[in-house]
Amino acid sequence: MNTRLLSFLALGFSALTILQALLGTLLFYHTIGFSLDAINNYYAPKSLHGLLEVLLPHTLFISIALMAITHFLSFIQTISENTKRIATHTLFLLFVLDQSSVLLIASGFEIFAIVKLFASTMFQISLSLVWIVMFKHTLKAVEKN
Amino acid sequence: MKFIAGKKLSDNKTLRATILWMLFALIVAMSLSIVTKGIEFGFAPDEWIKRVIGNEAEFIEPLGFKDLLLGVHTDLFGLIITFIMIASLYTRTAHSEVVKIGYMILSIATLLIYPIGLLLSGMLGGTGVVLSLGAFTIFHLLAIIASLDLIIAIMRKRY
Repeated sequence: MNTRLLSFLALGFSALTILQALLGTLLFYHTIGFSLDAINNYYAPKSLHGLLEVLLPHTLFISIALMAITHFLSFIQTISENTKRIATHTLFLLFVLDQSSVLLIASGFEIFAIVKLFASTMFQISLSLVWIVMFKHTLKAVEKN
Repeated sequence: MKFIAGKKLSDNKTLRATILWMLFALIVAMSLSIVTKGIEFGFAPDEWIKRVIGNEAEFIEPLGFKDLLLGVHTDLFGLIITFIMIASLYTRTAHSEVVKIGYMILSIATLLIYPIGLLLSGMLGGTGVVLSLGAFTIFHLLAIIASLDLIIAIMRKRY
C-alpha cells in the first residue's frame, strides 16, 4: 500500500480523534467539572443504567478508535516494536481504568475519583503523544516521497 | 484498515461479501443520518440557523452550548468510524493519487468544519451554522459516492 496515502490517512484520523477527545474533555468540564468533589457528586447518585448509557457508547467507540490508532502505529518504522507495544498497553489500560472507575465511584468508593481524574488526564496525554509520533512520521514519509 | 485492505478482495469471496454488505450498511446509515438531522434541524440553511441560534420573533430558544457539544460529540463518533472504514478501502482503489488524496482532504476538512462551525456559532452567527450544514452535507454525499464507487469496483472484481 502507498505509504504516503496511508500516512495521510493516519494523520487525518489522528486529528479527528484528537478533536473528538477535546470535545469530550470540554463536555466533561461543562457537565461534571474537574474537581474531585464534582466527580463524586456527579457519579455517586447515578444508577447502573444511567452509568451504562454513557459507558456503553464510550467503550464501543474508544476501543475501535484505539484499535485503529495502534494499528496505524505498526506502519511506523521510526520507533521500536517494544515502544509500540508499551504505547498500546498503556492506552488500553488507561482507557479501562478511566471507564471502570466510575462504576466504583457509584458503588461508594469515593477514592476512585482520583483514579478517574488521573486515568482520563493520562489517557489524553498518551493519546496526544502517540499523535505527535504519527505526525512526525507522516512528515518524514511525505518528505521521502 | 490493514486486515481489511491486506489482500486482493477478488481472491477472497467471504471478505468480499462482508465488505459489500458493510458498504451497503454504511450507505443506509449515511442516508438515515441525513434524514435524522433533517428532522431535528431541518434541511434548509435558515431552518438550521433558527434551530441553533434561535429566533426572538418566533419565540424559538437557541440551543445551549452544552447541548451542541453533546450533539456534535455523539455525531462525530459515528462519522469518524464511517470515514476510516471507507477511506481505508478507498486507498486501495485504482483511482489516481489526486482523487484519493482529494477525497481524504475533503472528508477530513468537512469532519473538522462540521463541529467547529456549530460550536463557534455563538461568535460566527449564521455563517458558522451554514458552514456546518455545508460540511455535514458534503461529508455524507462523499461517503455515499465513495461507498457506491467501491461497491461497483468490488462487483466488477477490479479491487
